[in-house]
Amino acid sequence: MADPTDPQELVLQTIGLRKHFGGVLAVNGVDLSVPPGDVRAIIGPNGAGKTTLFNLLTGDLTHDSGRIYFAGEEVSGLPPHQLCRRGMGRTFQITSIFRRLSTLENVQTAFLSHHRRHYNILTPARRLYRDDAFALLERVGLHEQARKPSGILPHGDQRRLELAIALASGPRLLLLDEPTAGMAPRERHEIMALVARITSDTGLTVVFTEHDMDVVFAVAQRITVLYQGSVLTEGSPAAVRANPDVQRVYLGQPASR
Amino acid sequence: MTSSARALGLLAVVLALAPLALPPFFLQLLTEIAIVGLFATAFNLLMGFGGMVSFGHAAYFALGAYAAALLVKRAGVPMLLALPAAPLAAAAGALLFGFFIVRLTHTYFAMLSLAFAQIVFTVIFKWKSLTGGDDGLLDVWPPVMLKSPAAYYYFTLATVALSLFVLHSVSESPFGYALRSVRENPRRARFIGINVRRLQLLAFVISGAFSGLAGGLFAFYNGSVFPDFAYFTKSFEPLVVALLGGAQSFFGPLAGAFGFKILEWLVSRQWPVYWPLFLGTIVVLVIVALPQGFVGLAGGQGWRTRLIRKS
Repeated sequence: MADPTDPQELVLQTIGLRKHFGGVLAVNGVDLSVPPGDVRAIIGPNGAGKTTLFNLLTGDLTHDSGRIYFAGEEVSGLPPHQLCRRGMGRTFQITSIFRRLSTLENVQTAFLSHHRRHYNILTPARRLYRDDAFALLERVGLHEQARKPSGILPHGDQRRLELAIALASGPRLLLLDEPTAGMAPRERHEIMALVARITSDTGLTVVFTEHDMDVVFAVAQRITVLYQGSVLTEGSPAAVRANPDVQRVYLGQPASR
Repeated sequence: MTSSARALGLLAVVLALAPLALPPFFLQLLTEIAIVGLFATAFNLLMGFGGMVSFGHAAYFALGAYAAALLVKRAGVPMLLALPAAPLAAAAGALLFGFFIVRLTHTYFAMLSLAFAQIVFTVIFKWKSLTGGDDGLLDVWPPVMLKSPAAYYYFTLATVALSLFVLHSVSESPFGYALRSVRENPRRARFIGINVRRLQLLAFVISGAFSGLAGGLFAFYNGSVFPDFAYFTKSFEPLVVALLGGAQSFFGPLAGAFGFKILEWLVSRQWPVYWPLFLGTIVVLVIVALPQGFVGLAGGQGWRTRLIRKS
């Protein structure tokens, strides 16, 4: 959650972030500034470096040069579990849940870890944070599926569950990597409406990548356009839509999946 | 839950009364079953709950057995003080080897665990002045009051029951939940804040400690220890037993130990040469037709196992 006493403090900032794979510069000097409460879309044609940038931000990859600041502190090179502990939550492009645990246990485990109980080896876990987990499942509309194995839920429900898992860690920044990937159009708008509702309730900052332009323009407050590993432009949805460079490199092309 | 608690209570009563009805030979068989059951349950904390398949768990069984036997033989420590050294020595070994092993996954995890176990075997085999090498250490008996088959049976039963209680608590603890989440999806587990390697190492140490306790119990049951306690064939024993009984259930390995040891006794007293062939056939049949293991016969294992086959 954003610190209301210092609205100028950025939740996420990168300075000159660079990453190459062999001879290919996947991310080439990206400067990004995300203020608290922002709902930021990162878009760009295939190969623009969205996923690489995302993986640098979440600690899955380490960058070659540049710096990453999270909530005012440098976090360059920290592993994912420490970034999570500092308040970074994420979902994955390919739905990433604990399939052989029940829906409830998925969220309970995230709560247990968030409250640093996961090295406790002797207390029974069954009742711990069960009410919190139920409440969170209710918020994402999954409380009726709580006892079901998460692996048999429909795809859309699994995406909701992953969102609940990320929220259980009490993040101040939520990174969503193509949150609507593989969903039917109606479901896409439902899940993004859910994200919008949660962010407006909590003031959570969100950064997401997305292929579906309808979703992007419906939800994003600001949009950063990547092109060939660099920031092409950044601005409000209206400004980005009107930008001739953006139209040239991206919007003019048929949307590819 | 209550029906399984009732079944456990009934089992406890039957096992407690067994010495009244059974000749010493069967008490020895039950003692062995309890020890193998503990070994396989400790092993299965890694395989069933942590998704880590070790091919080298004999190392920790042997470290426990030799630690206890060496204290008795070389330092004259009484058995009841030497036995607690078994899980401690095995835990120390598991911490040292596990530090490297949990850095790897899947096949590489299995192969490195096997390699460390072969190192343990070789050290025991070659260090004749300490371990007796090939000849092993003989006359490792419990004190007089525990020497009769019935007494040692009760002692083993109590120790194993207490250990299983602890292991069961571990598997249902927050740590157990976190361990299952790591098994299901390490990448996701990292991003709920779990230090995956450290969690896996702790599981490895707990599993190693109880494997070592099983080794210590076996040393005094057997009256002697030999290098082949650490050999790779011994490492496959808990794997086979857990698969037979059902790796997805906490009590599966215990059921597997019953089935394994009783089949072994029935078959090898008639046709000792054919026991491996028979065992191989049983393993194939169980894996193909009964993926939930013997506990699957009792029914009600439910969705957790079915999901494995799908994913």
